[in-house]
Amino acid sequence: MTRGHASAGSRFLANRSARVGGAIVAALIAFALVGPLAARHGPLESDFVRGMAAEGVPVGPSASYPLGADRLFRDELARVALAGRISLVIAVSATMIASALGAAIGIVAGWSEGRRFRVPWATLLGLAGAVVAAALGHAGLAAAAIVVASIAASRRGAAGPRVDVDGGLMRLVDVMLAFPFVLLVMAIGAALDRTNAVTIFVTLGATGWVGIARVLRAKTMQVRASEYVEASRALGQSTVRLMLKHVLPNVAGTLVVTATVQVAQMIVADSVLSYLGLGISPPTPTWGRMLFEGQDDYLAAPWLVAVPGTVIVLAVWGFNMLGEGLRDALDPRET
Amino acid sequence: MTLFEFLARRFAWSLGVVWAVVSIAFVVNVLIPGDAARLVAGPQARPADVVHIREQLGLDRPPLVQYARFWARLVHVGPRERPRERPRERGGDHTSCAVAIPLGRAAVHVDFGKSFQMRQPVVDVIAERLPRTLALALAGMLLQLVFGAATGVLAATYRGTWIDRGLVGMSLLGVSAPTFLIALVLQLVLARELRWLPLDGYGTTLGEHALCLVLPATTLGIYGAAYYTRLVRDEMITLLAADWVRTARAKGLSASRVVLRHALRNALMPVVTAAGLDFGALMGGAIVTETVFRWPGLGQLSVNAMLNRDSPVVSACVIVTSAAIVASNVVVDLLYGQLDPRVRDARAGGTR
Repeated sequence: MTRGHASAGSRFLANRSARVGGAIVAALIAFALVGPLAARHGPLESDFVRGMAAEGVPVGPSASYPLGADRLFRDELARVALAGRISLVIAVSATMIASALGAAIGIVAGWSEGRRFRVPWATLLGLAGAVVAAALGHAGLAAAAIVVASIAASRRGAAGPRVDVDGGLMRLVDVMLAFPFVLLVMAIGAALDRTNAVTIFVTLGATGWVGIARVLRAKTMQVRASEYVEASRALGQSTVRLMLKHVLPNVAGTLVVTATVQVAQMIVADSVLSYLGLGISPPTPTWGRMLFEGQDDYLAAPWLVAVPGTVIVLAVWGFNMLGEGLRDALDPRET
Repeated sequence: MTLFEFLARRFAWSLGVVWAVVSIAFVVNVLIPGDAARLVAGPQARPADVVHIREQLGLDRPPLVQYARFWARLVHVGPRERPRERPRERGGDHTSCAVAIPLGRAAVHVDFGKSFQMRQPVVDVIAERLPRTLALALAGMLLQLVFGAATGVLAATYRGTWIDRGLVGMSLLGVSAPTFLIALVLQLVLARELRWLPLDGYGTTLGEHALCLVLPATTLGIYGAAYYTRLVRDEMITLLAADWVRTARAKGLSASRVVLRHALRNALMPVVTAAGLDFGALMGGAIVTETVFRWPGLGQLSVNAMLNRDSPVVSACVIVTSAAIVASNVVVDLLYGQLDPRVRDARAGGTR
């Protein structure tokens, strides 16, 4: 990467979309943290006296209910803030899982593109064991097998066949792209009686790494060809060390950008699930569910559609803008 | 590598992807708690009936046996004629629901089995839904490309002006609105307030089908267009700065001719790639859009089948979806060669 005239930080601040996106994201985080505490009513409290305007009609935006009340006379402000907290936690956790998986797979694939590496038998056995264990439903055993496989992979000089690692990983990506994952997430959501945040972000994270892996693979191939990598290899550094010391720091910028945009996509995915009734179970509020419940009352209570709708768009837009700004700041070759 | 060899390789690999995807779907179906037999029997069924139905559906066997039987039924060699319905042995599973592909004297049968819930051959269910999903995918794709190309070209030509900024801002907003939100706004305004279009559903006559198609197709159009706007704009800006565009201008060609005939044509390359891949995904059924608008296509079918644990239907949907995706990948690769001679030459040169 060539060094620009200004540092990444000042380029970031000079960038309009970065400032706007950053401000929206900061405001959103603050709202999610403070909102539930600042609201005058609890998010699950129905108030049949002050929350009701006329016979059965919830009260609109007013002094005691800044964003109005919902159909069950609960405070819309408290609900949208709590839902935001949940949504952000899910989106960020899912992105962290997806980034870790995507970075690992993308870097290994990009590094081994066009070459055949000797892979120890223990690694191959471990991976095969992990697949079998996962297919039989033993998550713990699968994780243990993956750990064994990675330890075996880091040992040098172990015997094993030469394998086209990149080819294999990209075939996996092909399969992942052809699989209708909305269905999978729905099936898991439908099978568990009460879905909680953990099931949702683990599922979203485990299925959302493909895009990140592809971007990082391309970036790693770029870094791999650079002279400093070649120089340190000539000095005899091990492959694992090279990846951690040289490749990882140099693809980190790209990873941050893709991850930021991924958060936006995860917010969308989460709200889609809850809109379709497959997200976190009620009475816990979610943006998608609030929108779904509000749409039938759009004439009597338009704020029940407007509030969650606006918040979803703002949140996704904010993270998208932030991602764009980061890309311009960290990757200055584009004008 | 000759074209034939290329196609043969891609075809073999595509079959591999479909196999892997179907197997994953099978494993998922086994892992997820819930009992298909109980769902088929209904909430009032006696335990003995549930046991009987489970035996009928073959769900009492171990998963590996079920898997083997699934593939043995899905692809098998049989007589050339489509066999008549045989008397029921062991439940309704043996009545044939196959599509036969003649191969010499015998034929390869592709048999998706019978739906647990609907009690009819899955082939018929899919055949009923496929044209609807195809119609929605085509209409949605067309709107995406038309909106996207128009706004992209406009933004690139007026680069840096308020038109450009406005269009780019709108496209980022469009990318940020989830499909169900666009759908909801369209429904509220055009169907509930103005009452111009039906809220959802499919209708009974061809005219009604067309009317019902407008809102879901527009939803997909708006959602996807935002992406193409940015793609076309970025590509056009790079191309308009190229030397040969300057040459064309210097030659005295009109601005619109340079933009539309020269630059846009080249800008379509990445658009074709993206559109091809998108189309494959749309063919699996735009699940969210179909669900929100109650459009009875493959997406809605697969969701309902998944919720009802109707595994023959789920498998068939997954097969159709993944086949559509890998097929569109191959078509994109071929088109690439047609559009860009450099790709074709590289392929012919054997450098993969």
